[in-house]
Amino acid sequence: MTWWPASGAARKAGARPAPRSQRAARGGAASSVQYATSPLLAAKTPLWRSKVTVAALGLAFGVLAGRAVYVQAIGTEFFIKQGESRYARTLELPASRGRIVDRNGMILAASVPAPSVWVQPKEFKATPEQAAELARLLDMSQPELARRLRGNPNFVWLRRKVSDDVAQQIKALKLKGVGMESEYRRHYPEGEAAAQVVGFTNIEELGQEGIELAFQSQLKGHTGSRSVVRDRLGNPVEDIGDTVAPQDGRDIALSIDSKIQFFAYQRVRDAVAEHNAKAGSVVVLDVQTGEVLALANYPSYTPGERRALGGGQVRNRALTDTFEPGSTMKPFVVAQALQTGRVRPDTKIDTAPGRITITGATITDAHPHGTLTVEEVVQKSSNVGTVKMAMQMEPREMWELFSGVGFGQKPQLPFPGLASGRLRPYKSWRPIEQATMSYGYGLSTSLFQLARAYTMFARDGELIPSSLIKVTAVPQGARVFSPEVARAVRHMLNMAAGKGGTAPKAQAIGYSVGGKTGTAHKQEGGSYASHKYRSWFVGMAPIGQPRIVVAVMVDEPSNGRYYGGDVAAPVFSQVVENTLRTMQVPPDLEVAPQVVARNQAAPAEEESF
Amino acid sequence: MNRWSVLLLVVLVGSAAYLVRTSYESRRLFVQLERERARTTELAVEDERLQIERRAQATHLRVERLARERLSMRSANAAVTQYVNVPPPAASGVQP
Repeated sequence: MTWWPASGAARKAGARPAPRSQRAARGGAASSVQYATSPLLAAKTPLWRSKVTVAALGLAFGVLAGRAVYVQAIGTEFFIKQGESRYARTLELPASRGRIVDRNGMILAASVPAPSVWVQPKEFKATPEQAAELARLLDMSQPELARRLRGNPNFVWLRRKVSDDVAQQIKALKLKGVGMESEYRRHYPEGEAAAQVVGFTNIEELGQEGIELAFQSQLKGHTGSRSVVRDRLGNPVEDIGDTVAPQDGRDIALSIDSKIQFFAYQRVRDAVAEHNAKAGSVVVLDVQTGEVLALANYPSYTPGERRALGGGQVRNRALTDTFEPGSTMKPFVVAQALQTGRVRPDTKIDTAPGRITITGATITDAHPHGTLTVEEVVQKSSNVGTVKMAMQMEPREMWELFSGVGFGQKPQLPFPGLASGRLRPYKSWRPIEQATMSYGYGLSTSLFQLARAYTMFARDGELIPSSLIKVTAVPQGARVFSPEVARAVRHMLNMAAGKGGTAPKAQAIGYSVGGKTGTAHKQEGGSYASHKYRSWFVGMAPIGQPRIVVAVMVDEPSNGRYYGGDVAAPVFSQVVENTLRTMQVPPDLEVAPQVVARNQAAPAEEESF
Repeated sequence: MNRWSVLLLVVLVGSAAYLVRTSYESRRLFVQLERERARTTELAVEDERLQIERRAQATHLRVERLARERLSMRSANAAVTQYVNVPPPAASGVQP
């Protein structure tokens, strides 16, 4: 135990024998430390002090070592994390929502970046001119801006989803405390024409209606992330860890043809205006593939501006609203009678005197027809003739017929809010109910269900599933009637849309058509309103080998005319002409049409309802 | 022994300097890559925006209105259309 001043002195002293006194002092140093060779400088320090110092230093070293072990071995993770949080950042990689396109790839809905502007009011600094400029860019008054700034001192949205160039201008102002968050805004180029089909999203890009809602999980993008080392200025300088690539949402290709959709929308809009009606719908189905080509409704809305939006504009009436199908049910009953061999197309049925009484209730025709063939029953839409055929059937047989073509069943479409319509179980049918159901009262259906049921006639008695999504392979169909019966019914439908039928105005230039009108008093509460009507027309073209089925419905036409043949049939005619031309189907009629509908060459037969 | 130490020291310093240079270079290139990536996204976004804009300018509503009002066109129907049967392309080569 030598301290350096002492040892230095001792080495020098070692050259010659130490004086005696010194030796004596050393001998006595068993309990103290000597700092100097000179006895004059000798200061006696007790040995325990140095021991305490050594122990204290040793302890301090031990603490350091313990701490080192803790930092390096025990608490490593925590310290690594703390370190990383000071230089590493995880950046979010935004993914955009998928597009919705039509069958030809035309965009119906797509996302574009639209930054949202926020402010931290406690950090916010701006000259009055800058504030005025900011308010102008954000399209709000200055007091409004000031009011927003008095809100939460930490974070306030100034405006969500501004356009890209406004965002650039705000960035150029370089205001302190104002920032942007990148977000997307949904654009709907087709606007109101396809609004109810496509639907819309809310501000968080969550589907709220239509296809946007039905395909939310596929359309939704998955944001990615990457970790980077950032420098003093916040720029990334190095990648660390794994990068999760963002996944953009899937594009959805609908079966809708935007051209046909637009035309159908335009026509139903004009018809609603012309007849001072409340609403209208058009459904166009491709017979060969079962695809929905158009699904137009009026009134509609502009998807970008939804401030004053009511349920009436938003819902897709063709799919969600049900009504009593009326005369449009008659061909199904006739087809069943033909299929079972009860009648032939030329079998004569006596409908005189234009009414029939069943268990005390009387069913009448608009005017008595006398004796009609089965074909003429459909052509002139005779209630009595239809009831006479229907009453030969069992309730169960009729129920199976109706449910077999999709009535009372929810259509198999990926769409929110589909109506299934009403078809009561046959066990509870009373005879009068069976009779009224044969001409379309006492059950209800949506316009889409009606159109789909008619594709059965168009496909020679086969019913195939319909689709809102573009199909690649034609689905397997189910046979309901034999091809001969379907062709016979098509001929009757052709007659109904021709001279002496209920809808000569359904004639299209260049194409042979066939279809059935429907007119009904609207139900209000438990009874029928006497001055409120609903008119519709369901038909197909070209009748020889149908390509499309078109269903048109106009709700509450109130300009004097309300028969389906007057209100809905002209819309049908225009939509058929345009759709077939768009689909490049060659005309099957001589160019001079059989009936010039505009001049009303043939007076319309008044239908019974 | 001493000479080896000097040599190793020189090699070490050289290697350290090279490391500094490499990591500087790598960061510089990374920043450049980053900038190009940002530009890619920006251009993709711009492309999407322009596509939508083009679509918005070419909606059927607008096209139809312009065709009718500015170009005084009418929509064709079967009554004013002459349908011609075009032979399939393979056959047209054989025919004179």
